[in-house]
Amino acid sequence: MAPPILNRIAVLRTERGLTRQQLADALEINYQTVGYLERGDYNPSLELAFRIAEYFELPLEAVFSRRPFAPMSSQLYRKEESA
Amino acid sequence: MIDDFDKLSVTELRLRGMTSDQILAEQKRRGMSKQQIDAAWFPKPPTYNRIRSRRFRRSLVVATYCGWLLAAVVIRLVTPAGQTFPLIPFVPLANSVALLLWFARKTYLSREVLSGDSGLDERLVQNRNHAFRRSFQVFVPAALTGWVASLVCIWVQPGIEGFNNAVLIFLGATLLGTTLPTVIWAWREPDPVDSN
Repeated sequence: MAPPILNRIAVLRTERGLTRQQLADALEINYQTVGYLERGDYNPSLELAFRIAEYFELPLEAVFSRRPFAPMSSQLYRKEESA
Repeated sequence: MIDDFDKLSVTELRLRGMTSDQILAEQKRRGMSKQQIDAAWFPKPPTYNRIRSRRFRRSLVVATYCGWLLAAVVIRLVTPAGQTFPLIPFVPLANSVALLLWFARKTYLSREVLSGDSGLDERLVQNRNHAFRRSFQVFVPAALTGWVASLVCIWVQPGIEGFNNAVLIFLGATLLGTTLPTVIWAWREPDPVDSN
């Protein structure tokens, strides 16, 4: 069985104050699908993954990963410290 | 020109007196893309989400099939020997009513047979295709078994008794064939999430 693809959709959606319905409307998918993506019950197609990343204006690897994500805040601080 | 042109559907614009040519010309004048124009003329039907919990759906599936099985047993028991089933015309009728009730729920679980891909996103299309593939895998052996069983009934019990049993098996196969895709999808779909 293929390893799961992890994503930050729930965090990004909450950060932008969007409901699942609003995000689903923007992506032209069903809001249940947004929920299952967030839960990790469904892996999106490459096309949908790109659409999601483009919607959040982030690179694909910032939204999807094969390895667990570090918290966004700690990643941000690390970047600032190294700069 | 109508002020809120962008907010109105094509049907509403027509009701306000615009012809199809005028609507199309105005859409082009406003620089709408081909996809936007297509979406305005052929809007996707809404997809409903009243799919209830997985537990509820599974209970409904079990209750439906058990109900039909019970109906078959009752019909068999109440039919006097040497007569055709008096209830046979009512069984397809009851089946049609049950199917209409399923379709009337207008969720994506019950619309897929009628609606094609419209209103379904990629996950729903995948699930619909899986449900049809799995139903074919279940239905073919069931139908072949039923076919052999009905032949055996007619052969072992010549006359009206064998015919009655063969008819019951045929009706069972019909019920199975017409309901399996929706039932398999309803069985597998996870618990719904909140729209918020």
